[in-house]
This record gives sequence, C-alpha cells and structure tokens, in this order.
Amino acid sequence: MIKVNGLYHSYSKDENYAVKNVDFEIAKGEVFGFLGPSGAGKSTTQGILTGLLPIQKGEVEVVGYDIRHPKREMFNKIGVSFEQSNVYGKLTALENLEFYRKLFDVETMKSMDLLKWVGLDHVANKKAGEFSKGMKHRLTFIRSMLNNPELWFLDEPTTGLDPAIASQIKDIVKEKNNQGTTVFLTTHNMYVADELCHRVAFIIDGEIKLIDSPRNLKLQHGEKFVVVEHLENDVLKKEQLSLDIDQDKARLNEIISSGKIEMMHTKEATLEEIFIKVTGRGLE
Amino acid sequence: MRKLWMTFLKDAKLSFNGLYFYMEIGMALIFIAVLLFVIPENFESSQKFYVAMELEGTDTDAVQRLMGSSDDVTVVDTRFEIESAMKKDRSAVGAVIKKNENKFVYEMILQGYENESMKNLIRAGIEGEVLSHIPGFSSEITVRTLEMNSENLSDRVNLIPVYLTMNVGMMGLFIIAAYIFLDKEEGVIKAYAVAPVEVWQYLASKMMIMLMMGLITSFVTVLAIVGFSINYLYLLGLIVAFNTFGSALGLFISSFFNTMVKAMGVMYVFIMMMMLPTISYLMPSFNPVWIKVLPSYPMMFSLRELMFENGDQSYIVIQIGIYLLLGLLLFIAANHRFKKTLTV
Repeated sequence: MIKVNGLYHSYSKDENYAVKNVDFEIAKGEVFGFLGPSGAGKSTTQGILTGLLPIQKGEVEVVGYDIRHPKREMFNKIGVSFEQSNVYGKLTALENLEFYRKLFDVETMKSMDLLKWVGLDHVANKKAGEFSKGMKHRLTFIRSMLNNPELWFLDEPTTGLDPAIASQIKDIVKEKNNQGTTVFLTTHNMYVADELCHRVAFIIDGEIKLIDSPRNLKLQHGEKFVVVEHLENDVLKKEQLSLDIDQDKARLNEIISSGKIEMMHTKEATLEEIFIKVTGRGLE
Repeated sequence: MRKLWMTFLKDAKLSFNGLYFYMEIGMALIFIAVLLFVIPENFESSQKFYVAMELEGTDTDAVQRLMGSSDDVTVVDTRFEIESAMKKDRSAVGAVIKKNENKFVYEMILQGYENESMKNLIRAGIEGEVLSHIPGFSSEITVRTLEMNSENLSDRVNLIPVYLTMNVGMMGLFIIAAYIFLDKEEGVIKAYAVAPVEVWQYLASKMMIMLMMGLITSFVTVLAIVGFSINYLYLLGLIVAFNTFGSALGLFISSFFNTMVKAMGVMYVFIMMMMLPTISYLMPSFNPVWIKVLPSYPMMFSLRELMFENGDQSYIVIQIGIYLLLGLLLFIAANHRFKKTLTV
C-alpha cells in the first residue's frame, strides 16, 4: 500500500533535513506505527505521503499512485485523521460530514451512523465550534472514515481523549483493520502502538532507527524475567526470576507448586524502554 | 462541477453564519442612506457676499442700485458685522465700500485661505458685476462648447462608480484573502486538500462567494440610487468582470504568504494604489498618464459611462472583456501557485 524509498525533506530547502533517507514499505492489511517524539519527523513524513507537503527527494508510492504525480482520485482510497481537530466551527457536526461525504466519488458511509459510532449523534445538529476538544477530535476522526478508506492515516488518534473514548477509538481501528483497512498510525504513545500495530518504526531526528513488530522487539530487547509475589510462612515475598537460568526456572516451578502465589507477571520490556534503549531518547 | 457547487454551498453557508457577509450588506445600506439622506442631489456652490457701505445716504442708494438684488449679497452696517458673519460661514467673502476723492473704492475681506487665482477671480467677479450695471457697457466674450451633447451626472449618482469600484474591485481583494487565511488558520484547508477535489475548485468557490456578495451589494445600491434608468445587463457584466479581477488578484497575492499579517502590507499597498484614480475621477484636472494605467481607473470610468443615459457602450464592453481576461489569467496563476503552497 505504501512504498517509500530514500525520502528526504527540508523545510529550509538546504541540508537541514526534517526527514532523511527514510525507507519502508507497508503491506495491505497491516497496521504500521510511526513512533517517535515530537519533532522527530513523523508528521512531515505523513504530510508527504498524503500530498500535503511537496516531495523534494526520494520515491513514494501510495495506494499505487506515484506521489510525485498525484491524481485527485487517489483520495477516494485514503482517509486522513489529523492530530489537530480541523472542522468547520460554524457548521454542525452533521453538516461537516455531509459536505465532505459529497466530495467523494465512491460509496460513502452514512454520516449519522458514524456519529452514533463515536457517541456524537445527540449533538449532530450542534455547531462544531461549540464542541469540546474531545468531541471535535472524534468528529475529525470519523470524517476520515467517510469513504471507507483502503489506507487510513491516523495522526495521534487518541491524544487528549479520556480513556473510555480512547478505548472506543482503538476498537474502531481494530475493527476497520479486521475488515481489511491498512493503517498508518503516527503516535508518540507506545501503549497505543503496542496494542494496535503489527509493525512499528522508531523515528528520531528524521531518521528511522529500527522497524519491527512489537513482539520481535520485546523478544530481542526485553529481559525474560518473571516477577512473583507469594506467601511463604505467611510472609509476603517478591522475587524476580530469570526464564533463562535453570536454577530460577526450578525456583519458579517450586513457587507455582506451593500454590501461594498472589501476583505473577512477565517482565518483558515496554516499547518505550526499547525506544530509549535503541535511540537513547525518550518519547515525550 | 458538482464538487464546485457543493463547495460553494458550504462556503455560502459559512458566509451566512459569519460576519463578513452582513458587514458588506450593512456597509451598502449605510452608503445608500448617506447618499439619499446626507448628500444632496447636487452640491450647492454659491458663495455668500457681505457688504458694508461707509458712504453718505445718496451714495449708498447709488451703489445698491448698481448691485441690484441677490440672495447671495447681504448688506450689513459695519465691517465688524462682516467679520462676524464670515467667521460663521467660512466660505463667505466680504467687502467694505468707501468713497475716496469722489471715487468709489472697495476693500476686500477674505478668509485667508484663498490663493492668488481665487482672489483675482473674486475681484473680477465683483468688478464684472458692477460693470454690467453701467449703462452702455457690453461684453465681447463668446462661449463655444466643444461637446454639445455632453451629459452631467448628479453629484449623488457620480459617487456610485467610486463606491462600486472600491466595494467590488478592491475590498474583494482583501476579503478573499481573509477567507483563505481563516481556512488556513482553522486547518480546514488540509482536510479539504485530502479529499478528491481540485485546488481550482476550492479557489473558484471562494471567488463565487465574493461575486455573490458583490452582485447583491452593487445591485441593491444602484437600484436604490439610480432606479431602472441604466442597462442592468451591462452592470452585471461590469460587476462580474471587476469582481473576478479583484478576487483573482487577492488570491494571487495571498499565494505568496502563509498568514494574513504577512500579506497585509502588500495588500495595503495595492489597495492604496487602486484608490489613487479616485482623485482623477473627482478632480478631472488631475489626470496624468500613470494614473490611467491603474486598474481602478477604467473601472470607475466605465461604471460612470454606464450611469449616463447615452454612455459609451463599446468602452463598457471592452472593459468587461479586458477584466474578465485579466481575472482569468490571474486565477490561473493563483491556482498554479496554490497547488504548491495551499497546505504548506
């Protein structure tokens, strides 16, 4: 769905690149996470892929279209949800969706169905300018689904939302992906990336440092430990046991056999820990 | 075309929900009210003349007979009364008439702002007025009129071309830029840019909004002031052409900037330059060649032709053609530039 080769971009049109030598490919049906801190080059890359920024150097193909010579019909196949809500404040939620719906040349979803999906149907006829930040964000999000996109660009889809709404958004992304939608997810939230993505790319200072699945990354970079909290002679004990050392494995078996375990969890690395380990920088 | 129409309907809805539209309508109504109730059909330019005579009784009668009777001449008793009256009416002039060695002499009292030519004109006027009453005096002055059928507009109607040019040709330039930058600021331009629509459709829709506003305000104003005595088909043509030109120019200028603040300076220069031909329009003696090449000059004068009963129709048609062509070229240039800069 996306092929990127040797992509460079400089806002000042000199050697000061915001994105440099970026290569990656995204297969149909994949959820691909672009993970990095603010200013890493995530939005610049997405801007180029969606045609909002001009391509300067490199090759980019999106849903079969060369982005150097984009055709407007390409946008019948893609949907873009922006980090900053950008809806017409003087139009109602329904009017906002209806306007964009009529711009597509393909079959579109019903505006009211989408509003119901994210719990905005009761304010369908209210002007979007009177919405809270979270409501505007949801409206921006569902607008990007109007054309049932084959390729869906999501820029920080859960940022600033309360946990219940964020969970709802993630469920929608999973559902659409199960229906075959390819997702390009830009985020600095490792939990969202971990939960949704088949593969993630770590980008920092405009360069991709690593691309792999969250599982592989955890296997490669995480430590295989189990933390067990158990009662021994009515005293609560907490032990960290390696899954690679025979002695620790035997001890774990012994604790399991004793049947007095209160808590037990594996201690694989989080994506954030791996990001810091690989790039030497945090995600915020 | 369907997408252009949808975009236009959306923009129209936004305009009706916004302030700009009502401000334009409000300004047109204020202009109409000022023309109808404040500005007279024709400005009166008569000048009051106060005279005090420091003469004997028989001499006073003689001078009064020479001056005859006129509403503009007021005889007062003293020089002090002349000065008091002139302080109240800053356009008035006065004279004190005396007798010196059996000759009538007069002393002019002026406001102080009159230049030499004005002073000479007033003196010649007074002397001429007196001379014309001397028995046996005849004038050898002949008057030849170059344009026998020249028409004059009333002062009220004469101001309409100035308003229409400013409203349609110049303010359109400014307001369309404001619309574009507002969309940029709200980020909605990005959402539009990732829909299967062309940049020209977005720009054309904005121009159609400007045209709608221009047509409403222009037609309301002209109908209220002039009535049905002009050719409204030509008015339609002129407004469409000038509006197209003005808004396309506004789009082209906007394409070089990413915020309204940055564009303001250039917009201001353009608008000020476009206002200069107003001087030539209201003061025909100032009419240098360089002012004639400014776009608002033909705008004003072709609109004035339209106001005449027997205006130059070919001039009007030529201007419609020229401005439509210029507007189209500017629109193509703006579209070309915006393809690269609209979302950057």
